[in-house]
Amino acid sequence: MKRNDIMKRNLIWAFGAAVMLVAGCKNYLDEDIRGGLLGAQALQSQQGLEAALTGAYKGWANTWGYGFIHATAVAATMGGDDITTHKASNKADFREFDQFAVPATNQRTQALYNGCYKAIQGANNILANYQNTQGDQATIDAIVGEAYFIRAVSYYWLVRLYKDIPLIQQAEFSEDLLTIGRSGPEEVYNLIVSDLTAAEQLVPNTKRNPGRPNKGTVKAYLADVYLTMAGWPLKQTDKYALAAAKAKEVIDNKDLYGFRLVDTYAELYENDPEKNGTAETVFQISTFMGVGSTQNANYGFSAMPGEEGGWDDFFAELNFFYDFPEGPRKDATFRTTFIRGDGSTISWEDSQTEHPYYYKYYQKNEVKNHASQIPESMMRYAHVLTIYAEAQARATGTPDDLAYECINAIRRRAELDPLEGLSGAAFADAVVQERAWEFAAERTRWFDLVRLEMVAEANANKHPNDLQPIGEMTEKNYVFPLPFSETSANPNL
Amino acid sequence: MKSEVLQWNKLMLNVIQTACWCLLLALFATPSFARQQSTVTGQVTATDGAPLTGVSVQLRGSGAGTVTDENGRYSLQVGSGAVLVFSYVGFSTQEVAVGNQSTINVQLDADLAALDEVVVVGYGTQRRTELTGSVATISPTEFEEQPVTRVDQVLQGRATGVQVTNASGAPGSDARIRIRGANSVLGDNNPLYVVDGFVGVDFNTINPNDIESIQILKDAASTAIYGSRGANGVVIVTTKKGTRSGFNVTYSAQGSRSYIINKWDVLNAGEFAEIVNVRSNDMGISPIFSDQEVANFRQNGGTDWQDLVFRPAWGQQHQVTISGGGERTTYMVSGNYLNNDGIINNSGFKRYMFRSNINSNLNDDLTIRINASGSRTENNNTNLQSGTGNPVVQALSWAPTTPAYDENGNMIQADPVGSVMVSPVALMYDRANLNQGNFVNLVGGLNYRLPVEGLTLDLQYGVNFLNRQTQSYNGPVVSRNNPSASRSSSEDWTLQGTASLSYRRVFNEAHSLDAVAVFESQQLTNNNFSSTGNGLKFPSLEYYNLQLANSFNVGTGFTKWTLLSYLGRVNYAFRDKYLLSLAIRHDGSSKFGPGNKYSTFPTVGVGYNLSEEEFIRNLNVFHSLKLRGSWGKTGSQAISPYATLSTYNTNAPVAFDNSGIVSGIMLGNPGNPLLRWETTEQVDVGLEASFFAGRLSVEADYFRKHTTDLLLNQSLPAYVGGGSLTKNVGEVENRGFEVALRGVIVDNNQWNWTSNFNISMVKNEVKSLGGIAPRIGQGTGVGAGMSTTNEFMLIPGYSLGSYWGLKYLGTWKPGQEAEAAVYNAKPGDSRYEDISGDQAITTDDFQIIGRGIPSTTAGWNNTVSYKSFTLNVFFQGVFGIDKLNYTRAAAMSGSGDARQYILSEIKDRYIPGVNETSDIPAFSATNVVYTQSSRFIEDGSYIRLKNLSLSYKLPTINKLGISVFVSGTNLFTITDYTGIDPESSNIGSGTDTAQGIDYGAYPNSRTYTAGVNLSF
Repeated sequence: MKRNDIMKRNLIWAFGAAVMLVAGCKNYLDEDIRGGLLGAQALQSQQGLEAALTGAYKGWANTWGYGFIHATAVAATMGGDDITTHKASNKADFREFDQFAVPATNQRTQALYNGCYKAIQGANNILANYQNTQGDQATIDAIVGEAYFIRAVSYYWLVRLYKDIPLIQQAEFSEDLLTIGRSGPEEVYNLIVSDLTAAEQLVPNTKRNPGRPNKGTVKAYLADVYLTMAGWPLKQTDKYALAAAKAKEVIDNKDLYGFRLVDTYAELYENDPEKNGTAETVFQISTFMGVGSTQNANYGFSAMPGEEGGWDDFFAELNFFYDFPEGPRKDATFRTTFIRGDGSTISWEDSQTEHPYYYKYYQKNEVKNHASQIPESMMRYAHVLTIYAEAQARATGTPDDLAYECINAIRRRAELDPLEGLSGAAFADAVVQERAWEFAAERTRWFDLVRLEMVAEANANKHPNDLQPIGEMTEKNYVFPLPFSETSANPNL
Repeated sequence: MKSEVLQWNKLMLNVIQTACWCLLLALFATPSFARQQSTVTGQVTATDGAPLTGVSVQLRGSGAGTVTDENGRYSLQVGSGAVLVFSYVGFSTQEVAVGNQSTINVQLDADLAALDEVVVVGYGTQRRTELTGSVATISPTEFEEQPVTRVDQVLQGRATGVQVTNASGAPGSDARIRIRGANSVLGDNNPLYVVDGFVGVDFNTINPNDIESIQILKDAASTAIYGSRGANGVVIVTTKKGTRSGFNVTYSAQGSRSYIINKWDVLNAGEFAEIVNVRSNDMGISPIFSDQEVANFRQNGGTDWQDLVFRPAWGQQHQVTISGGGERTTYMVSGNYLNNDGIINNSGFKRYMFRSNINSNLNDDLTIRINASGSRTENNNTNLQSGTGNPVVQALSWAPTTPAYDENGNMIQADPVGSVMVSPVALMYDRANLNQGNFVNLVGGLNYRLPVEGLTLDLQYGVNFLNRQTQSYNGPVVSRNNPSASRSSSEDWTLQGTASLSYRRVFNEAHSLDAVAVFESQQLTNNNFSSTGNGLKFPSLEYYNLQLANSFNVGTGFTKWTLLSYLGRVNYAFRDKYLLSLAIRHDGSSKFGPGNKYSTFPTVGVGYNLSEEEFIRNLNVFHSLKLRGSWGKTGSQAISPYATLSTYNTNAPVAFDNSGIVSGIMLGNPGNPLLRWETTEQVDVGLEASFFAGRLSVEADYFRKHTTDLLLNQSLPAYVGGGSLTKNVGEVENRGFEVALRGVIVDNNQWNWTSNFNISMVKNEVKSLGGIAPRIGQGTGVGAGMSTTNEFMLIPGYSLGSYWGLKYLGTWKPGQEAEAAVYNAKPGDSRYEDISGDQAITTDDFQIIGRGIPSTTAGWNNTVSYKSFTLNVFFQGVFGIDKLNYTRAAAMSGSGDARQYILSEIKDRYIPGVNETSDIPAFSATNVVYTQSSRFIEDGSYIRLKNLSLSYKLPTINKLGISVFVSGTNLFTITDYTGIDPESSNIGSGTDTAQGIDYGAYPNSRTYTAGVNLSF
């Protein structure tokens, strides 16, 4: 009996002690955050800084979320006379651009806007913390250079799409940021130029990977920025000379940077997912089929007609197609007969939308899929050549031999007669027209129309079977309203 | 101020901690009294002399006791001065002082009002008559011999204040269960489940066949004892125990067949082809079908996609229970097997369950218990991917003119006319989504009657292990030739220690005192990992050989939280007339930053048993009459671990070439170090009355729950990186009224008719958003590609789950050409209300267009028995809820991913010159269809015959009892809803801010079941 009691008591003691032990444990309520990554210390190693840079690129490439690898930028530049969209179905977001009636709730601009600012946030975080990073200095320099590049190019897209925008250079969140106002384009362009100038010093001559910039890429973007600064809205025409000079630096060192015109236009748009772009690529966003958020959804269904299982997101405007000079470039650019599910073919005139489509956005072998790992080309070497040609002509009033050589190299490839003996203005206009064809549906035409204030003129004579502009075309249509998410979160915007 | 609170918290902690230690020390240091032991035996019978089996015989003031055997006999060791308490469901409790008697036979009086029923409350038990809180009880007799397989089916319609929605009709899927409305926006609004004292059990792991009783704690007086987890109400489940003598085996088997409730009325292939051509013509584009093709479809028909998706489905359930015991030890061991096919092809659910409850009296003062349960669940394709990856949605998007298979028997990959998405057949057969749950719960405890009368120490330790595995596969057709497969595993490991000291004593036969002090600690650790292989080289190997893939994604994660609690409660009753209950819980949580870790949740309840008063008794009207009221505070864990910290988002893969990805990190949401619990303050007033010797009873409650410090996400603009900042800023209120009526309408030798009716009304209102925004959108992702913006909006003055959209005014009619032209429309086009008056339809014209949470739920349960036959008729209804019928919207907008009109409804559209009164828009290039409009909001109220069953009990032969039953579930539904099932929706069960959308939701089925129960 007695023994039993003792045993019993011991048993209770043991059990009670076990339960109470927990209470005695002082740190019982401390948070155990193993597996979580916090604050600036994450960037103290070179690996951490590199991971943060990768995260910054994510802002440009998050399929269906934000960034450039689904039909966002294509939609946002639909005000150009090169592309249009479906008249009826669920393409309201696209139509609003084509018809110059973009509301603050348009989800396509929002995807670009969000992605650019996400990239900027990532870049700001690197630029605020890289000084404490331990590691190989050359690699850290390259990382920092790419971060400057990301911030500059993101702001470049934003300032062209919205003109007056919030300008953020800090990574850390603070509630004060929720009441800031907008910055004007001059201030934004100054930051872009200063960032690209910094990047120019830091980014290596050779791309670390196909999906990253090299020094030539940075210079090419700087040239493009100068060209835009010379037009609307800043109209700093002295920038033409800077644009030409910067483009020439790229042209003069094209072998160093590994840029050249590929031989045929068809080769350029082979769209082979097994290749990492072409030698003409100045900058591309690489994509990868194996992970949903890194797939490229611009090639394939988005650009294909319903007859071929496509989504009819975007296709060619009729007059643009009619005016497009015949030749191998036109053949490689457009798809004019469609193969239906049962194997029969139908010409574009008899198709449901009665429009030709952009073959340059078909996947190799006309694979029927909405996704691919074809790299998204953001700038080609041909682009640099046209920047030089136009900027040099506008800066000096007289196109030089190099300017002619630049434009005629592109025309030769398209099997067109070379340009010769034009005045500065006529030459520059011819270059702009050439850019429209060469870069059809490549998100170039719209920005050319805006900076040269040609939007109304170019959209004046739309084919009757194309979507027509709504209302009068003014400067107001050159940029879009800030997304509703922004103005509702911060009424000062 | 803050530091004062902190100081107080610390002080309180110290005091309680010290007190606990002192008590323990004092108790164990006290020498045991030597007790005079003797054995008491006897028989318990009903007033008609029939022996009562399973009557609880307990020594007052201790956990020691037994239950009567099948002859009503019991035997118990007692000390001197012992008082035996005999209690049994449906009978008045009796107390008998043992004195010198060795045989005590007792006759129990039937108590139809169940006043003396013992109710399990948090950390203890109470007699119903002494309750000051609002507690609903469901006993197994209410669902016996009905085809109940899960706890939500038990709760649905059987208790006031409880709303149960079978959001998904798939077997084995989640149900939305709410007790007195929803309090939280960010948090889970599911009630807290406590099984045999273990706090926080997944309700899917409870086998209803093992249930001895269910109590639903609703008001603060009963839930505050659960502190920071009590705000959503508490469901306490007590599982069966063995009887002290004998050996009982029961076996029951059920087989069922389920059918789709109804189908959508769709166009046949001929009609479809013709209408598509008419539409092409009206839209100014070329026709799709030639006249010959149309004629062929008219003659030969096409594909009925619904027939390819839905099927009748078999189901079966088996349960074996073995129970019994000896002098000191009792046991209950049960096993359950369930296998239900779903009514959508290639979907189903399997479940294996096991439980073993063992109780042993080591001696008269010390009882130990071990409850072990385990289960495995296998959900096979019951979790349909939402949106357009759902076979039901695609069955209403794919053209009836498109075949399912080509001449070689391969699935057709693309629909040239209708949907742009994958075929419903491929969505069922070319992919897999298997979820497996492995669950083990072990609770061990000891109960020690201390050598001070009425004082008992109870120590319990519990371990809960839950492992969820998923296996998924997307084949070549579904993935468009990029097959992928994945596996993941997530492990929850919960440890809980509870030490409680309770004291129960009656002084001077007038003052009844019942007090409990508890210390409890709990911690949950989650570890998870996942791996995905993309570009499977051998798709047929599915997820069994992931290494044979072109690329891989892997991920792991870890979370942990801890909770430390001190709580106490005192119940006092004076002559069963005046009741007072005080309780307090002090919870500390790891989820909060220093200074905010601890919160205190107090409650006060009072009750007045008027029927104990002479003047009421003299009225001769009331059998019983009680008034009660309570006030208290509870919390809600609407916050995940680490929410106070700014952590990186570590899922940012980027490709820098086409060979693979590089992992990146992105800044995540900024943390808010000031986060606290959401706190719900609840007031409850209740009235309980019974008449005619308890044959008719009424219980009515009014309550008001006011939740403050509501956590809301302030949306951050994209220019700071987007995302949101969580803040304790909002307020939500739920107030309502609930009534339960119970009547024994007929009760004679052969006939008995018992009827229970309950109705609950709750009004939910968002009171404040704390000024962070005039309104906060709540997206669902369900209607991706269809919705213009968030389908739900939080606005002060409206309830949670309010729909946000345009008000549809029908079509523009002839004569309104000029007005329509302002909106770029013409007669026959959709007309929406332009509330901003800017002559354009924009997001400025969005308004609240409906409410997705129900205002009223009701249940009416009838049991009629005649001799050995029992008939159960159970109706259940939900009222005052709107549904957003996206299934219909997708099939009736002819755009987006569906492209064409599928439903027969389109034949009644506006046709210029032919049918100009229709509000279904014409085929017109200028018509704009907003799926997010009142055109697709429908009344989702319904009344349903939830159960109709008939059972027959055969005469017992040689102790072999046999009963058989047949039943039908969801036999008919009265509703205006046009979809398949008003009850099902696409939103997970935890959220209330966004619910009620039906976008191809898995419908509930009509089920016929036959079963047999055997007992030896």
